[in-house]
Amino acid sequence: MSDAIRVASARTEAHSFAGSLRRERMVKLTLQWSVLGTALVVVIFPMYWMLLTAFDPPSLSYTSQISLLPKRLTFSAMSQLLREYDFLLWMRNSATVAIISTLLAVVVGTLAAYSLARLRYPGRGFLAGVFFLAYIFPATLLVVPVFVILSVLGLTDDYIGLVLSYLIFTVPFCTWMLRAYLTSIPPELEEAALVDGATRVQAMLLIILPLAAPGVAAATIFAFTLSWNEYLYAFILMTDSTKMTLSPGMTKLVFGDIFLWGMIMSGATLMSLPVVLLYFVAQRFVVSGLTAGSVKG
Amino acid sequence: MALRTASVPIPSSRRFRLPRDAGLGYLLLAPAILLLLMLVGYPFLTAVVMSLQKKLIGQAAAPFIGLDNYITLLMDRTFWIVVRNVLVFAGISVALKLIIGTAVALALNESMPARGIIRSIMILPWALPTLVAVLIWMWMYSDVGGVFNSVLMGTGAIERPILFLSDPVLAMASVIAVNVWRGFPFFSITLLAGLQSVPSDAYDAAKVDGAGIYARFRHVTLPGLAPVMAVVTLLSTIFTLNDFAIIWLLTRGGPGNATDVLSTLTYKVAIRGLELGKGVAVSVLMLPLLIVLIVLLTRFINKREEAG
Repeated sequence: MSDAIRVASARTEAHSFAGSLRRERMVKLTLQWSVLGTALVVVIFPMYWMLLTAFDPPSLSYTSQISLLPKRLTFSAMSQLLREYDFLLWMRNSATVAIISTLLAVVVGTLAAYSLARLRYPGRGFLAGVFFLAYIFPATLLVVPVFVILSVLGLTDDYIGLVLSYLIFTVPFCTWMLRAYLTSIPPELEEAALVDGATRVQAMLLIILPLAAPGVAAATIFAFTLSWNEYLYAFILMTDSTKMTLSPGMTKLVFGDIFLWGMIMSGATLMSLPVVLLYFVAQRFVVSGLTAGSVKG
Repeated sequence: MALRTASVPIPSSRRFRLPRDAGLGYLLLAPAILLLLMLVGYPFLTAVVMSLQKKLIGQAAAPFIGLDNYITLLMDRTFWIVVRNVLVFAGISVALKLIIGTAVALALNESMPARGIIRSIMILPWALPTLVAVLIWMWMYSDVGGVFNSVLMGTGAIERPILFLSDPVLAMASVIAVNVWRGFPFFSITLLAGLQSVPSDAYDAAKVDGAGIYARFRHVTLPGLAPVMAVVTLLSTIFTLNDFAIIWLLTRGGPGNATDVLSTLTYKVAIRGLELGKGVAVSVLMLPLLIVLIVLLTRFINKREEAG
């Protein structure tokens, strides 16, 4: 008798448990989709608006009649931008500066990261902290003295000056990120190689580097993006339109009273293309790289 | 087998190898350290020296004036308005980014169709160049043909365009909105990774104990996520405090001083106003707050490293 009651009450409990689970699932789903739905609209709409304006540029008469869908698609704004401004030069300059500073930062950073992650010597912890500090050091504090120093050296309006400025944040960033990444690689592999008679350098080049390739790829992408997107230094250091990068160049388009939004949005679209492509192609690296510093494992 | 027996003699040989490691260690580190000394250390020292001088653009002479620049600034009402602005801007922006980032991370944590695509889309505001994000929002905010005003006026909700960027009260909200739009993916992606490292047995145990969604969030999710949240929040605060592009391009710090922050003030005083010494002093005054944040951040990161 007591068995039957026990089974019955257990079954009721199980049913109400299952029922509350189902209710919970509904609540969760509702929350989830409302959050994501809103977030998706908020995220996508501005980007859609950029593309719409770029390929269906508003007429100068700015009628308040606005349509959320394209009436026609044209490259006229984009071609006007390329004709009337040094946009392609800006793009080339951005690419040059970004590529050079990225390459330097990744090479220097990988060596430094390996040293900080694997080798032992006094002051190692302190030196690691120095890199982190350098990365978060306020750019606004450094930009004025850097401007003065580069002026004295005659390197303003020169891509070398800009590359040097970008190393200020790309080197610490790459070092910090790669250090976090390298410490997550188990040391046993190198130890085995060392025991087999390899030198440290050989172990580093032949064993660790291939394993660290995803981390290095992520660091490269991030460093390139940081340089490509950088605004403050480029804005202050470059004033010659033919030497400018995209950041100060695009700023030229929005100074003054009349904004030609079709052209501006075309420029914005073109400027975004390389980095967005990079992110879509290398997403996995991006996410793992981004979390390497903040989250372990 | 060879590996296992080899692991025994390593400790003594590692101790024997230490001096050699040290040499290589310093050597590999040298290029990076040298660059940092040249590009960060030297400019920083120059900045400190400059802040103690009456140094103007175009003038070679730079007389030493001690703490005069600092005193002038600290007694200037505008300076304190700017301090208030930067604290408001960073405080509200980071808080909003944290809340929205957590919500999105939680939502993305459940398996669902098209999760990968949705996650990729969510990164986009952060992946776009800041300049692009700012220009898009500048256009949307515009009172001449901008989409917000056009839609609001078109539906008859308002009669005249809202001056998102030139109204003293709205301007701050408008720039915060752009900062949040741009910055929340950093939070959501990092927090999502953090969420995925919270062990699922903890959730199961809580469920068995009868904990509902909210209770599980408070007692399982939040504690597990708190360290990551702390790191991300502190990092974002430091970067937001230093942000220049968003405010400069949208409002130039205006109207008046309504959205001026320390970074834009530095630019205005040093480059526009030609007073390099004073401009640098503005930035140096931000250091105490930054140091506090950095110390907190280092403590949290070290805690993470010990735990992980």
